[in-house]
Amino acid sequence: MHWYILKRLAVVPLMLFLFSVISFTLIQAPPGDFLTSYIAELAQGGSSLDQAHIAALRSQYGLDKPITTQYFLWAGSILKGDLGISLEWRRSNAELIGERLLLTLALTVFSLLFTWAVAIPIGIISATRQYSVADYVFTVLNYIGLATPNFMLALVLMWFAFDRFGVSVTGLFSPEFTEAPWSWARVGDLLSHIWLPMIILGVAGTAQIARVVRANLLDELSKPYTEMARAKGLPEWRLVLKYPTRVAIAPVVSTLGWYFPQLLSGGLVVSVVMSLPTIGPLLLRALVGQDMYLAGTIILIFCVLTVIGTLVSDILLAVLDPRIRMEGA
Amino acid sequence: MVKVTRAARTDSGWRAARRTSTLPTRVLAASALALVLALGTALAQPYQEAPMLAEMVAAGQLPPVEERLPVNPEVIAVADQIGTYGGVIRRGFTGPGDHNNYTRFAYDALLRFSVDGSQITPHILESWEASEDFHTWTLRFREGAKWADGAPLTSEALTFYYDAVLKNADLTPSRSELLPIRKQRPSFVIPQPVANSDGTLADMRAVDDYTVEVEFDFPYTLFPLELTFRDGGDHTLAAHLPAHYLKQFHPDYGDQAEIDRLVAEAGLTDWTQLFLQKGIITDNPDRPSTAAWVPYQSTVSDQVFTLRRNPYYIGVDEAGNQLPYIDEVQFRYFADVQALNFAAVAGELDFQSRHIQLTNYPVLVENGERSGYDVITWPTFGGNDAALWINQQYTINPELGEVLANRDFRIALSLGIEREEIRESAFLGQGEIRQPVAAPWHPYYPGDEYAFQYTEYDPDRANELLDSIGLTRDANGMRTLPSGAPLRLEISVVPAFGPWPDVAQLVAADWTDLGLTTDVQVRERTAHFTMRDANELIIEIWNEDTSAFPFTGNPKIDPRSNPATIFAVESRTWYATDGERGIAPTPEIARIVEIIETAKTVGTEQQIELAQELNRMIADQLYGIGTVGLTPMIQGVVVFNSDMVNVPPLVANDWPVRTPGDARPETFFYRR
Repeated sequence: MHWYILKRLAVVPLMLFLFSVISFTLIQAPPGDFLTSYIAELAQGGSSLDQAHIAALRSQYGLDKPITTQYFLWAGSILKGDLGISLEWRRSNAELIGERLLLTLALTVFSLLFTWAVAIPIGIISATRQYSVADYVFTVLNYIGLATPNFMLALVLMWFAFDRFGVSVTGLFSPEFTEAPWSWARVGDLLSHIWLPMIILGVAGTAQIARVVRANLLDELSKPYTEMARAKGLPEWRLVLKYPTRVAIAPVVSTLGWYFPQLLSGGLVVSVVMSLPTIGPLLLRALVGQDMYLAGTIILIFCVLTVIGTLVSDILLAVLDPRIRMEGA
Repeated sequence: MVKVTRAARTDSGWRAARRTSTLPTRVLAASALALVLALGTALAQPYQEAPMLAEMVAAGQLPPVEERLPVNPEVIAVADQIGTYGGVIRRGFTGPGDHNNYTRFAYDALLRFSVDGSQITPHILESWEASEDFHTWTLRFREGAKWADGAPLTSEALTFYYDAVLKNADLTPSRSELLPIRKQRPSFVIPQPVANSDGTLADMRAVDDYTVEVEFDFPYTLFPLELTFRDGGDHTLAAHLPAHYLKQFHPDYGDQAEIDRLVAEAGLTDWTQLFLQKGIITDNPDRPSTAAWVPYQSTVSDQVFTLRRNPYYIGVDEAGNQLPYIDEVQFRYFADVQALNFAAVAGELDFQSRHIQLTNYPVLVENGERSGYDVITWPTFGGNDAALWINQQYTINPELGEVLANRDFRIALSLGIEREEIRESAFLGQGEIRQPVAAPWHPYYPGDEYAFQYTEYDPDRANELLDSIGLTRDANGMRTLPSGAPLRLEISVVPAFGPWPDVAQLVAADWTDLGLTTDVQVRERTAHFTMRDANELIIEIWNEDTSAFPFTGNPKIDPRSNPATIFAVESRTWYATDGERGIAPTPEIARIVEIIETAKTVGTEQQIELAQELNRMIADQLYGIGTVGLTPMIQGVVVFNSDMVNVPPLVANDWPVRTPGDARPETFFYRR
């Protein structure tokens, strides 16, 4: 088991090097650079710059250096533990990402818990009461949830909240708490805002997981060991929860590692629409604006998190399923 | 008149003792008259201040208002009525690249434009005056005026900018170092208002504490106009700088070791970056400024960018109340423009026109009453909100390039557009069908015959013209190039700025009816800009919002500007490299540059003549074919709190006049 974890960890630096090269190259792929998009943004406001002023900015930002030099400057400073300064925000990347990472993780964990809390019981009920009214109702709801793009749901709920209560439910904080230091009051304010994005982001995943649990459980319920346990007189609910369910939720756990990047891509539009101060919109903006140091750093951090997420899910799986544990030994 | 003299006498107490120079009598009389009318004759104290400042004065944290104001404060007219103090203006912004959101709102310039944009008014400078020959300009600061931290605001504000910034080779590297120009022609990178005709630095000297003289080697008639722009817009250093604060970050004045330490601490590479970071107001709340509200413990990179009232602001209303009325301004960050628009619909923004989209106008009007806001429109200052710019130097397909450069072809394109449809569906019935010339109320207006030239929908004449230049139809009825090769036009359009993709589709359909195969390419803006710089676009849709200011800044019709429109980008290279690379301008395009350069050195009357010639050329040459203009597309849909008073119903709306700052937000207040 320990060897297994160590082996997995040893590959991480190599993967990070590859990721950093790939992400830096990809960010450079579109035409133009940070200044081109900066000039475009200024043009939107009606102003325009002198040719020489642009040249001065280009050298000030170091964009006149060859691309390989730019990469090694960036990679070098990351190795030294310095995540660099964002071209657009003119603030340190560590600070920018740090303040959003916590909120992103909070939102991810909340919506994950919401998904599981809703999906697994639904899956179990649907499987144990197959073809009952409840099963049909849940199935229909599941398909609706699966088929509705979550940003659409966000827009509908936002409009509903405005139309009914006259409030706009954007952001994760009330204005007075946006810049406030952390306190219990601020945590309370966060909790009073986070539930809506949590539900919106969780709904699609709920449908998916409920279907997976239902299908797996149906397979397990007809297996001989279940029949055996039932024959021995084990109460039905205890039987279902103790054995088949554990097997049925294994695939759910194994996808944990994908959950974070998936939430990032799926939740991005929702975050933009709802003005959530999470990492997704920051990355999108950095990519559109070709702020390559910030974008590269965020992508790198996501790679690290995905690697860790996969590792955690493997360990959880080993804990959950003795067969995997035995194989590893 | 009796009233005036009596007020002047009442007024003569503390002020007479401090007054050493004569004040412009008219201003004094006007403010005195207003004082009398508003407050009666029993005037114990001529100036009033906000309660929050009065408290600080009482607690001994701040000198009294009389000492904070200059001897001759600027009397700022209110649009509607004298206000009361208090409240917060909530605004939205879209992040650090949106620094001009602050610049335009603060309008902290040496001189400013009047609300209608027709004339220049005093602001930080109390007066400006040219010598007979327009070579020497005398600028006067207000005696006793102060920076937001209480330090005296004197002529050093300008001379420091001159000595420490413009004369410093690190902060202002010469153009020749940055651009590949063979001929060494000294000129300066940071757009600067004090250049001689050959690009060298003009002379500037402080005559006394409040007077600065600038001497040029040519009659620089546009100098006051330049002074209205040098307010730190586009993330640059403003022309008036707090020398007392910034000296510590400049090696000529400060301690080198300390500067090096600060540079290293901030993770920067050299002192110029530190100096810019400290000197640019939106990046550094500690830098004193002179605006009505000043940044408070936050920057434009924060989630909420907060401004608080400047206790030393030089402006008062006609009743002697120190402005601004409103205590605080909060800019809230929105990652997405639609989210910002939604916040406006929900009544969460108190005064916003920037980023409000014309397409949301109906929704905004519909919800105004229940969300508690009003909606008005400030149309643009002339020009056109969606012009089709035709590449005059298209080299990828030389035969097509020749057709595009044919004026008859452009006339045919113009006659072939059904503009009423565009106005109705893309601009929601707003605005006027016109060519991209100045607005009718502007002195540069070339007359109706030019403004509406070739705007009528006349497909028959368009077809005649196209036939006459040899664009014959093939078997499918589509036109080909004279050689028989297929003719394909492409309109490149960026979706973020206005309803341009819709305009492009409508125009493409009209042109296809003329037998011209036309594609529409909607491009991400960076891709569009890169292709434009590489001269790869055939036709693009862009606005022309600079026809009222053709001689300053970087007008769109000037081929040397960046970003310029596609019509002559190769000539931009030609001008930048002194003819070494690029394509030489045609006589017409060269004439544009000549007009602009001449206008900088002549009197107003001749400027108007030149500007009208330029506007006639715009309508004649059709480098940019106009569709609809004078709409509120660019930051002209104004959403403001229903309780807010003094928002002017009509304001000159353009970047050079810094809308909405030119509406004088310091005079806005909340009805109780």
